[in-house]
Amino acid sequence: MQTQMKRNLFFLAGAACGTALLLSGCGATMNTIAPADTAAQHRMISDRRIITDTCLHYSVQPIGINTVTGPGGFLKIQIELQNTTGSMQKFTYRIEWFDENGMIINTPTAAAIPRMIEGGETLFITATAPTDRAKDFQIKFLGSD
Amino acid sequence: MKKTPLRPFAVLLVPIAGSLLLASGCATPATYVDANSSHLVTNVGQINVQDYASAADSMVNSLIDNLINQGQLKSSSAGEPALLAISKIVNNTSQQIDTDMLVKKIRVALLHTGRVQTTTTMGLGGPEDPLAADQQKAQEFFEDNKHARRPDYTLSGKIIEQKSKAGSIRQSAFVFQLSLTSRHGIAVWEDEKTIVKQGSTSSVGF
Repeated sequence: MQTQMKRNLFFLAGAACGTALLLSGCGATMNTIAPADTAAQHRMISDRRIITDTCLHYSVQPIGINTVTGPGGFLKIQIELQNTTGSMQKFTYRIEWFDENGMIINTPTAAAIPRMIEGGETLFITATAPTDRAKDFQIKFLGSD
Repeated sequence: MKKTPLRPFAVLLVPIAGSLLLASGCATPATYVDANSSHLVTNVGQINVQDYASAADSMVNSLIDNLINQGQLKSSSAGEPALLAISKIVNNTSQQIDTDMLVKKIRVALLHTGRVQTTTTMGLGGPEDPLAADQQKAQEFFEDNKHARRPDYTLSGKIIEQKSKAGSIRQSAFVFQLSLTSRHGIAVWEDEKTIVKQGSTSSVGF
């Protein structure tokens, strides 16, 4: 009798775990469709990364950065991020700009910008330098609750 | 064994003293926070300081990207930055806000581009700097020469608030709309930034 009860409880627990796993795999994530032969030329640059939050780095992965300098001489950047998890992730980012001597350029609008990225989504963040003196940059990411 | 009459009180004193110690240790003293940090207080029904910074950052990015970086910003004086005057910024929210919280950040950022300067002696409702305006008039009088430049562009806009509620979730959306108009009356640049905040309803009020 007791063995039968234990067996039933074990079976119920296994069924509950299996259902939970099945439901989590069926959560809403982002599907993306794009042309197979893209006409856009992405000028990706090599980057260096300092990772202190491995959870954020794994869940919201930077795919690459491409840059372009406009006719006015202002540097424009674009960062591609991908949410490798199945659930929505929140984070903030901040971009710091440096002149040709490596000195930081202070701007009044420098702030941590909050963003959300859906499960499986690829997100593009763009920014234009605040001055044509800006020749270098770095982007800081921070995970949010 | 004889029970001492104080023993029950001693048993109660320990958790009470512990709770008091815990409560005093958990009190948060006032502290300085970086204005650009991501740990600022966020209110659903209010525009916070970080919202102004985020909106201004978005607007300046758009202005530089779509106008300045494309070489479309024109100045009436060759070799000099374009002159900007601040026009009407309408507050269409339920709060009393100072629109300079947004506009000043944009002005400073545009000044730092080296391509735009803002006049403080000309504006809706009178000069921002009355002393500078008087100095300008005095100089024109003594030189017998009216050389004040007319602004090349004017900046106008609106801040709109939209509230929603669904069950226990309340949402406030703040829409920042700005336009840059040339002296020919044409909006050469326009943009809109929406900041949406959600939170659960408090037990009292909205």
